[in-house]
Amino acid sequence: MERNGRLSLILQQQPDGRMVPLRRIQGHEPHSSPSLSWNGRYLAALVQQGNQRLAVIEDRLSGRLHPLRLPGNPMAVKLTLAPDAQRLAIELIRDGRRQVQMFDLSNMLEPDKPAGSRISGAPR
Amino acid sequence: MSVRSRLLAAVAVGIAVSGCMASAPRPMIGLNQQLERAGSNREPALSDRWLAMISGRGGRERVLLLDLARQLPVPLPNLNRPDAQPLSVAVDNAGERLAVIRQLNDRTELVLYRRSIGSLERLPMQPPGVPSQVSLRADGRELAVQVSRDGLWQVDLIRLP
Repeated sequence: MERNGRLSLILQQQPDGRMVPLRRIQGHEPHSSPSLSWNGRYLAALVQQGNQRLAVIEDRLSGRLHPLRLPGNPMAVKLTLAPDAQRLAIELIRDGRRQVQMFDLSNMLEPDKPAGSRISGAPR
Repeated sequence: MSVRSRLLAAVAVGIAVSGCMASAPRPMIGLNQQLERAGSNREPALSDRWLAMISGRGGRERVLLLDLARQLPVPLPNLNRPDAQPLSVAVDNAGERLAVIRQLNDRTELVLYRRSIGSLERLPMQPPGVPSQVSLRADGRELAVQVSRDGLWQVDLIRLP
């Protein structure tokens, strides 16, 4: 959604359409490429920091913002978060060529599994 | 606690926090090397086990679906055709449904592909508009489509049976 001439992410709960505040990424417009985990705990997006596009993940449960600093500081164009938030794919421009690169987030984020998922090691 | 002690404690906490924040995403090196070898790739869409994207080689682009567990592409019969230009792709968590926006015969259309049966279904925009980006809910039951109508960008939600 465009606000004051800048693209800004909004998060809308379905099906009631209630707007959910995104506190941690405000002030870093323009936003682009939003991607949600299964239950909406994590929202990944590209935001502006200075003259750079930066990939970030807002953890709506803990209130933390995770900036994703990528090796080599490439230009990020688009990102997509796996539903369980354990992996991320980013479209990058490196040496003038578009590439997709995969990243493992399991050392950073708790999984966001769908309700009713079996937890590994849980008693049967 | 003295001012000095408080200051040291604050610095220690600061170091601990910055240490936590320093955890960085880990590149999946083997898979990334494979992706680089595949050519130019764009428009990634990820589910827990699948990576869909538009992959180009030799001036032609096609939709590619990678099984991340086996790190291999899977066949997509009836989806890619030489006269169609894919623009955006999304995949559900089962790797069964792919939503694709493509240009075909000067028309931009949204199609739903079911991989197990190789079927392709065109999903018309109502009211008419030009789709540009698509995302698919992980359970494959709903699409969000960015649509241009009368010069405005809108997002349509489309329930799928």
